[in-house]
Amino acid sequence: MGATWVYAQVTPDGVHPSALELLTKARALGGDVAAVALGPGATTAVNELGAHGAAIVYAGDDQAFADHPGRTAAHTLHVLIGQHAPSLILFPATYEGRDVAGCLQALTGSTLMANATDVDGPARARTEIFGGTKIVEVDLAGPEPRLVLVRPKSFPAEPSGGTAEVIAVDVVTPPGPTASVVERHAEAASGPKLEEANVVVAGGRGLGGPEPFAMLDDLAAAIGGAAVGASRAAVDAGWVPYAYQVGQTGKTVKPEVYIAAGISGALQHVVGMKGAKRIVAINKDADAPILKIADLGVVGDLFEIVPALTEEVRRRATS
Amino acid sequence: MALLRAARPAARTAEPGARARRELAHVLGQRKLFQKALPGVMHAFIFWGFLVLFPTIIEAMLAIVDDGRSLPLIGQAPWFLFLVDAFATLVAVGIAIAFYIRKVQRPDRFRGSHMEEADKILLAILAIVTTLLLWNATKIALGQVAHPGAEPVANALSALFGTGQPTETLERVFVWAHVLIVLGFLAYLPKSKHLHIITAAPNVYFAKNGPSGRLEPERIDLEAADEDLRFGVATAKDLSKKQLLDLFSCTECGRCQEVCPAWNTGKPLSPKLLIMDIRDAAAAIDPTGEVELQPLVPNAVTDQVVWDCVTCGACMRECPVDIEHVDTIMDLRRNLVMAESRFPTEAGTMLRGVEGPNENPWGQPASTRTDWIGDIPVRVLAPGDPAPEYLFWVGCAGAFDDRAKKTTQSVARLLNAAGVDWAVLGGRERCTGDPARRMGHEYLFQMLAEQNAATFADAGITKVVATCAHCFNTLANEYPDYGATLEVVHHTELLSHLLAERKLLTTPGASGTVTYHDACYLGRHNGRFDPPRDVLGSTGLTTTEMERARERSFCCGAGGARMWMEEDGEARINDTRFAEAAGTGADTLAVACPYCFVMLDDAAKAAGSEMRVADVATLLAESVATGNPTERP
Repeated sequence: MGATWVYAQVTPDGVHPSALELLTKARALGGDVAAVALGPGATTAVNELGAHGAAIVYAGDDQAFADHPGRTAAHTLHVLIGQHAPSLILFPATYEGRDVAGCLQALTGSTLMANATDVDGPARARTEIFGGTKIVEVDLAGPEPRLVLVRPKSFPAEPSGGTAEVIAVDVVTPPGPTASVVERHAEAASGPKLEEANVVVAGGRGLGGPEPFAMLDDLAAAIGGAAVGASRAAVDAGWVPYAYQVGQTGKTVKPEVYIAAGISGALQHVVGMKGAKRIVAINKDADAPILKIADLGVVGDLFEIVPALTEEVRRRATS
Repeated sequence: MALLRAARPAARTAEPGARARRELAHVLGQRKLFQKALPGVMHAFIFWGFLVLFPTIIEAMLAIVDDGRSLPLIGQAPWFLFLVDAFATLVAVGIAIAFYIRKVQRPDRFRGSHMEEADKILLAILAIVTTLLLWNATKIALGQVAHPGAEPVANALSALFGTGQPTETLERVFVWAHVLIVLGFLAYLPKSKHLHIITAAPNVYFAKNGPSGRLEPERIDLEAADEDLRFGVATAKDLSKKQLLDLFSCTECGRCQEVCPAWNTGKPLSPKLLIMDIRDAAAAIDPTGEVELQPLVPNAVTDQVVWDCVTCGACMRECPVDIEHVDTIMDLRRNLVMAESRFPTEAGTMLRGVEGPNENPWGQPASTRTDWIGDIPVRVLAPGDPAPEYLFWVGCAGAFDDRAKKTTQSVARLLNAAGVDWAVLGGRERCTGDPARRMGHEYLFQMLAEQNAATFADAGITKVVATCAHCFNTLANEYPDYGATLEVVHHTELLSHLLAERKLLTTPGASGTVTYHDACYLGRHNGRFDPPRDVLGSTGLTTTEMERARERSFCCGAGGARMWMEEDGEARINDTRFAEAAGTGADTLAVACPYCFVMLDDAAKAAGSEMRVADVATLLAESVATGNPTERP
């Protein structure tokens, strides 16, 4: 059996965790293990990749890998495969991993298996179907290297304490037109992630518009470590982005405290927050269903109650 | 033909009588074409003309071989000559109407259709009847026709021609031109959308019998050999014979597109474009099997197109040639979900909920299924209890959603007031599997259907009443495929029956105006239009209809598991429908399905409207004349 390679996704900020998971698995398969890291940050990632089991790291820091994603890496990998003939290449099932693996398969004509959850070697991998209730074993056939896209977090990452030899890789410019990255935009996220916050302050239709959400931001900031969420009604009305949505078709949250302001508590919302330890509901309608599941229900005008609450939280924090 | 032979068979031969009757109505009678008046007249003129003029093609061919020969029996019969003359003229009128529609009216439904191809076909047909009339005119001019009065149009045209040699030459020119254009047309046909003149009739014959809401089961047996395991449709090769015939029957008339809720709210799905795009992919099938086919999604149609569909069936109901768009979309979903695990992520919560220990889309504790009961006297069937006459299938929405619970409570009180022998399954009830099935998760649906069917058998249930239009459709039309053949009624049907039997008495003192929204799976898919209207009629409320009502109702946006997906695009379907309801000026919007209830009530709140949204049963309960509706009389 030839070597097992891991496509290690890197940025100047570090190594994507999937690379370390895949290296841990590759080690367990036996045989030689190498990592391929393409893009700015590749060389600085060598130590970490080596410490997780890569004996060799093929590293290329060229900016072109970041500027022209997908095909540039695929063509470079294709040349490396021609030189070193690995048996199996593991890719993370990330946007980048899928892009590169797909392009590479078009060049090699070898087998590509997507969405794998486990790998036994170049000849066999596994995937789950029907929401994980059935496991399918897949025999991989055809010319090597076999390409397998593995779902992130399928394996734990465990260091081996090794070191890697670095082989510098020259970028291969793909023929024909190539997509270029025009702009990078990171959605500004203030505070902790909705799903991870200890306290969630959520607003609904009762807020009446986008501006009152600033009131919830203030309350969240006063509490500290709190995130702001919203009901579907507020998202549908265009007051806040979909990323705020808590509920059946949005995020499921399980904070210590969930503060629902102006949310009636339709089932589709409740499904996303019923796991909260404590639920505080502020609503002007005493018949609102949310009050039935709330540990503390406040019937009144949220435009008075929320600022007063923010004020009180601040006062206690400083006293 | 090679494509069709190779395709997966479709079991569409049972009940030939019903198929023949549909053939008569939809093809000979042009019934679905007449759903639009002017285009219907246009098409009927051309189609009936095509039938009547068929023998004249043979006439003309005979005349080329042997001038003066004509068909026996009819060739010289005045009645036949009259029919030919009349219908050739009507075809020409039909073509004129067609050009008027296409060039002057220019309806939006043609967006994306091949307009130039249609022009060519129409001009060719015009040339065929024109040369026929002119040929007949020259024959009259030459004195070859015994009864020129039988052909008024050709007779009038004959005044253009003399009796001499030039007319004899023209007579030959017209008959040759007629035959050559017909032959050219026949050669062009197979490559064009006009192929429908051959494919439409069999497509109508092999259409689905019975309610359009029933999906054909795709049995998933995980123990079966790999070759036999099929997960919906991945490439064009997986299409059934009927699905292929659908593709080559489409004339791109766009009636489906015009009524599609997705298209009408600015989404990329158009049933017409879907069929055209899949047709182009199917045309690439290589019968030798050497060329590897691309998956239909996302190569022929995008993922979004597949998920935009609300399965409301408006497209199928409008389609003059009985194309089954929804069934093909469902097969595409089956493949995406079961083979690729690819679907809008937000719907995952629903699938996990249906599959999970509580077996409902919201993942609510199964133990709270009876929380709606409160102080209403309700018999909850324990294992071994005697079977009631009617099992009230509460449904997950009816048990867990606060708005739908009101409907459940109203129905329970009304059944008690009417003295019906009824009971509920309580915690033994689980999701019918409908939302999973409409998502394409046939396997999950199959498991639930088999389990529920076993529960029905165990409890000795024979009659079921359901408040959810989706449960109703699934239990009535789809459960027989899984071993549960029940008499299933919708609550509005049972209530209207109880009113007619005078087991429920109303005091029609209610005032106000109500408009009723037809649920797709109750109305269009299952033909229940009148029971909810009858019930409303007994309440004393003044009823008014929306423009799109009954068969042509516009979906609330929740069907096809869209209830569990996020919607984007220019407009929301529920907002669009609610605006139409509010436009009637009624102060109450009556619904008969919990999905419609949630969607339209949300839309009412979003619009800040005062209009009340309520189930038909709740409106009835408010006007039923019993002292205490919770007690049996």
